[in-house]
Amino acid sequence: METSIGVGLGEIAVSQNRDQILVAFGLGSCVGIGAYDPVKGVAGLLHAVLPEPLNGSDVESTKYVKNGIIKLFEQMEDLGAKKDRLIVRMAGGANMLTSPGLSKTFDIGTRNIAVAEQVLGEQKIKLISQSVGGNTGRTLRVYVSDGKMTIRMIGEKETTF
Amino acid sequence: MTELKSIFTEEFVELLKKISTEGIINAAKGFAGMIGTELNVKSSSVRLVKLLDITKMLGGPEDETVAIYLKSEGTIAGQMMLVLPFEKAMGLVDQIMGEPIGTTKALGQMEKSALQELGNITGTFFLNYVADNTGSYVRPTPPAVMVDMCAAILDIVIATAGIENEEVLMIDAEFLQGELSTEIQFWVIPDPQTIKKYGAK
Repeated sequence: METSIGVGLGEIAVSQNRDQILVAFGLGSCVGIGAYDPVKGVAGLLHAVLPEPLNGSDVESTKYVKNGIIKLFEQMEDLGAKKDRLIVRMAGGANMLTSPGLSKTFDIGTRNIAVAEQVLGEQKIKLISQSVGGNTGRTLRVYVSDGKMTIRMIGEKETTF
Repeated sequence: MTELKSIFTEEFVELLKKISTEGIINAAKGFAGMIGTELNVKSSSVRLVKLLDITKMLGGPEDETVAIYLKSEGTIAGQMMLVLPFEKAMGLVDQIMGEPIGTTKALGQMEKSALQELGNITGTFFLNYVADNTGSYVRPTPPAVMVDMCAAILDIVIATAGIENEEVLMIDAEFLQGELSTEIQFWVIPDPQTIKKYGAK
């Protein structure tokens, strides 16, 4: 029977259990990075909150996109995954506040996406697909059984991406 | 970086609680006046909340939620948010517009404007009280109305406050309305700089 494993703010989950689905619920400006190694059947999901630490403090925390991505790959490698085989997809990074005067100051989503793309580039990882930006929250699911990844927005059906 | 915890003394909490509770009661008066109904403040609290735990304070992360969000600027800076389930928001729109409950089925531009106005009045009533009693200058920004998954909406608070802090000071209250029993969350999250400034006094 399939079991959903919730991946909360600043958390990482990795799994080889084919019955599990890793889920980051309601990503707003946060970004979710899903990864899958088809050879070892290892799946992972990061739920990152902010682009990077402000002044070098708390650099170890996986709430930051930069550190989170590196830790995600490390934890997957611990289960036997190889970085060059990973299928990586990204979702989230919305700008939830669209009101004039507020939106620009708060556009953490766009910065989260930019940092994620930069870090993935440095890690020589190609993003296979992404569902990012806009003004809508998304739920991201990673199916450990076959690496399928889906998103769902409010009032819409779950779709693969 | 000053830890919020270090200035979070019992005395300071009591002071905050006193000012904010009165401010919230004042906000509820503005709210009740607008919708023309009795409104009670069920409870209010002042507490330090771990940022990453904020989403656990409300229902399901995917629940369709409406939030009316505004910022206060001036000597007291912070964020304010009214959070309510989608169905409840439509009921409130009916009350503001003087329609029977159940009339509003969707939130279009006009319905959102009505909710914005509600945020405006609540925010202004709250801030005015706080400003009058602390000798400060505050100005609310125009409110934004959002309809989305609960967790996605809360990302706004988490992302803006989380840049500098692991915890936020949160003043929250529940408004209870006679006819509709669902609770409305009223959150105030002062900026850490404001807290530090007043906490040090």
